Amino acid sequence: MNCPDFRRRTGAEPFAADEDIAAHRRDCPACARHQDELQSMDGLIARALAVDPARIGKPKTPDWLSQPAPARRRLFAIAASLVVGLSVGFVLLVSAPRTSIAREVVDHVLHEPGAMAATVPVEPGALAGVLDPDGTRLKPGAGDVTYATRCPFDGHVVPHLVVQASGGPVTVLLLRHRDIRKPVRIDERGYRGVVMPAPRGSIAIVGVDIADPDEVAKRVFEAVDWGG
Amino acid sequence: MNRADGETDRRRRFGTLCESLCPDLLRFAFWLGRDRGLAEDVVQETMLRAWKAFDSLADEGKAKAWLLTIARREFARTFSRKRHEVTDLDVLVAAETEVLAAPEDERLAEMRAAIFRLEDDYREPLVLQVLMGYSTREIAAMMGLEQGAVLTRLFRARARLRHELGITPEPEK
Repeated sequence: MNCPDFRRRTGAEPFAADEDIAAHRRDCPACARHQDELQSMDGLIARALAVDPARIGKPKTPDWLSQPAPARRRLFAIAASLVVGLSVGFVLLVSAPRTSIAREVVDHVLHEPGAMAATVPVEPGALAGVLDPDGTRLKPGAGDVTYATRCPFDGHVVPHLVVQASGGPVTVLLLRHRDIRKPVRIDERGYRGVVMPAPRGSIAIVGVDIADPDEVAKRVFEAVDWGG
Repeated sequence: MNRADGETDRRRRFGTLCESLCPDLLRFAFWLGRDRGLAEDVVQETMLRAWKAFDSLADEGKAKAWLLTIARREFARTFSRKRHEVTDLDVLVAAETEVLAAPEDERLAEMRAAIFRLEDDYREPLVLQVLMGYSTREIAAMMGLEQGAVLTRLFRARARLRHELGITPEPEK
């Protein structure tokens, strides 16, 4: 790969990191600097595009989305779903392997590969927008948050953060709806980490090539303020 | 599960998707049309169409791409009816200052204005790549282009932005 080819490619894909790109970076410091600049500019582009949606507007959603179901029907629905849920749960328990929370977490991380590439800290207002609905907060000490969004996970909407920890970026999912009794270790498809019981539900902390996942998890866990 | 419960579950799942994906859809529609009112209309219509076709969504993990496809189509329809001819980009930027402003970071505001000024052909793949996290192959499929054409547009988009921000001389057209 020559310099013009390298620059064309990284101009279109600043985070390209295949063998050709890596080899040219080693041989050409000027092009390596150029790619670093492009990556830094992409951080700015990402922040620029992530405008506050509340400033754009609030589209009307279908009325029924904000209307609770009538109380009696809701009670009946809850009771019915409990019966169905228990039955299905029993059948699954005896006939199929239990769903692994570790696998769910890694599946989710793999669904959003761009998240780990973000390098520019998220604005405090945007981070609060992601955490506030759950009544949580992140105290200083976890590291810079370079990605923050609310994602569907296991039928709930959960905060999904990428925190720049000492050993590199780690994904943090705050799973308030998911109670677990003891920590579950994650070690699959190149991802390592842990899902830990939390004051409310659980917290998943996972990254690639983390040397000491327990230490990283401890630091992030201690930085989460779970609210009252 | 009886019919009423099924309907309740369907609404709950759709509501969850709306809550999580609406912010990104709004941003996407805003950067596509560069107009808040248009973005609101497009997202609203997208949600209604998505609700009607919700049963055709086999994998909810792919809901984002599905909604974006509906939004793109809806944008093309709405765009042809509502959008006025823009002759002065500065007027367009001024009209959306409320969204583009970043008083705490001048560089950020400059970048927003520069993206706003990009041609549609360059702006859309950039938004799909950087904001939505799609690969060039996925963007090509969404936009009905060859992957090479997407790479060229992304390269030119960044070259234009570098020029607008005073990093490099004007790129070749």
